Amino acid sequence: MTRHASADRSCGRFAERIHEGVDGALDAGAQAELDAHLASCAACRALAADLEAMRRAAAELPGFTPRPEVWASLSRRLADEFAARSRPFWTGARVALAMAATLLVAVASSVWVLRSPAPASPPQASAAPPAAAVIQTGENLVQDVDEHLRIADEHYVKAIAGLEQVVKSGEGTLDPALAATLQKNLGVIDQAITESREAIKAQPNNQLAQTSLFEAFRQKVALLEDTVALINVMRKGDQAGAAKILGGLSKS
Amino acid sequence: MAITPSDRTEANRLDRDIVQRCRRGEPGAFEELYGRHGSRLYTVAYRMTGSAADAEDLVQDIFLQVYRRLDSYRGEAALGTWLHRLAVNACLDFVRSKQGRRQRVTDAVEDLDALEAPATGPWRAGAALERLDLERAIAQLPPSYRRVFLLHDVEGLEHHEIGEALGIAEGTSKSLLFKARTRLRSLLRGREFEGAAQPARAAVVAIEAGRHGER
Repeated sequence: MTRHASADRSCGRFAERIHEGVDGALDAGAQAELDAHLASCAACRALAADLEAMRRAAAELPGFTPRPEVWASLSRRLADEFAARSRPFWTGARVALAMAATLLVAVASSVWVLRSPAPASPPQASAAPPAAAVIQTGENLVQDVDEHLRIADEHYVKAIAGLEQVVKSGEGTLDPALAATLQKNLGVIDQAITESREAIKAQPNNQLAQTSLFEAFRQKVALLEDTVALINVMRKGDQAGAAKILGGLSKS
Repeated sequence: MAITPSDRTEANRLDRDIVQRCRRGEPGAFEELYGRHGSRLYTVAYRMTGSAADAEDLVQDIFLQVYRRLDSYRGEAALGTWLHRLAVNACLDFVRSKQGRRQRVTDAVEDLDALEAPATGPWRAGAALERLDLERAIAQLPPSYRRVFLLHDVEGLEHHEIGEALGIAEGTSKSLLFKARTRLRSLLRGREFEGAAQPARAAVVAIEAGRHGER
């Protein structure tokens, strides 16, 4: 940095402008006026040169690297966070389990509807107790989250297998293009299930993966249920009902 | 059509990929995220707090926040920008909460002992300022000046962004910046090093002694 003569009085009004000039924030007119002043004032020239050097140096200040201990400590805190998140998931796992149990009932109903030529009495009443029983058994048996997850997973898989069987048996009723679209969508969901399972396998406490697994299950079940309902109404020749379900399907 | 992605595009693509993998809970993905952005956020925290110990705590808090909020990151801004904003806000909260309880200037100067020059610094021969001089001078600024100077000249925020972050008018941000630079210039010219800032002197002497000792 160079030594400079002391600034004269007219320099005061340029002080701010010099800063703005360094920041490239002046319009052409103001910049020209400043340049004219700088040409005739050594003190302001020195100020501008110093500010520019400082600005450049500030922008180029190097970074610092945290000590490896920082990551070690952070990863411990992250692990605690995983654990803290897994606790509320007890509730989530139970909900999943209850839903899976209810689904078994739904599957039973669908099958029942398909097989009965004239459904006179609603099957829900007789099917309700098994659902409660499943949840009860689950609660008694399950000791930890992993077990909860495993059982919920099992129920979903069973429910899905049941639904798939129903869909398969009635697939001929569906329009081939629609059946192909359904298959494609099921494929996408299956992929999500596979990926979530792999993630859970690698990190059993990973809540994101757990949530996404059950979300995929829910999607798959919803899609299969709609398909079953569609097959049911098609068999009955209920065109209005079919249109309604198809409308719902296209939204999902 | 041949696409030649710039480094930035490539970096953004990598970031998007890491975010996806973090969301899927892929092992090691979050560590990778930390590896890519940890130093930059730590540097922000270090300069804003002036303390290596505070910066270490802060950078962990910041990454915990990142972990919790990753789902809310929609990718409107580049990940680096999003993280930087999050870090700046966390640092400002921290500095605000500590102000009054501690004497920032003294802390900052004392912590200069912790400043370690990287093996290959970007300092070029012929540059007008020594990096260490500038770090030392920045650490000596009053907190309100230092904050604005760091945010504008070091971190590259605009005055309106600084105003928003600090809850001050854009004009105030400008005025604080100009005062900060003027003060820095005086400090760097050596006018204020004597008497007023003995601890800084001592810190620099200590750093230099350490350096010489290494060789």
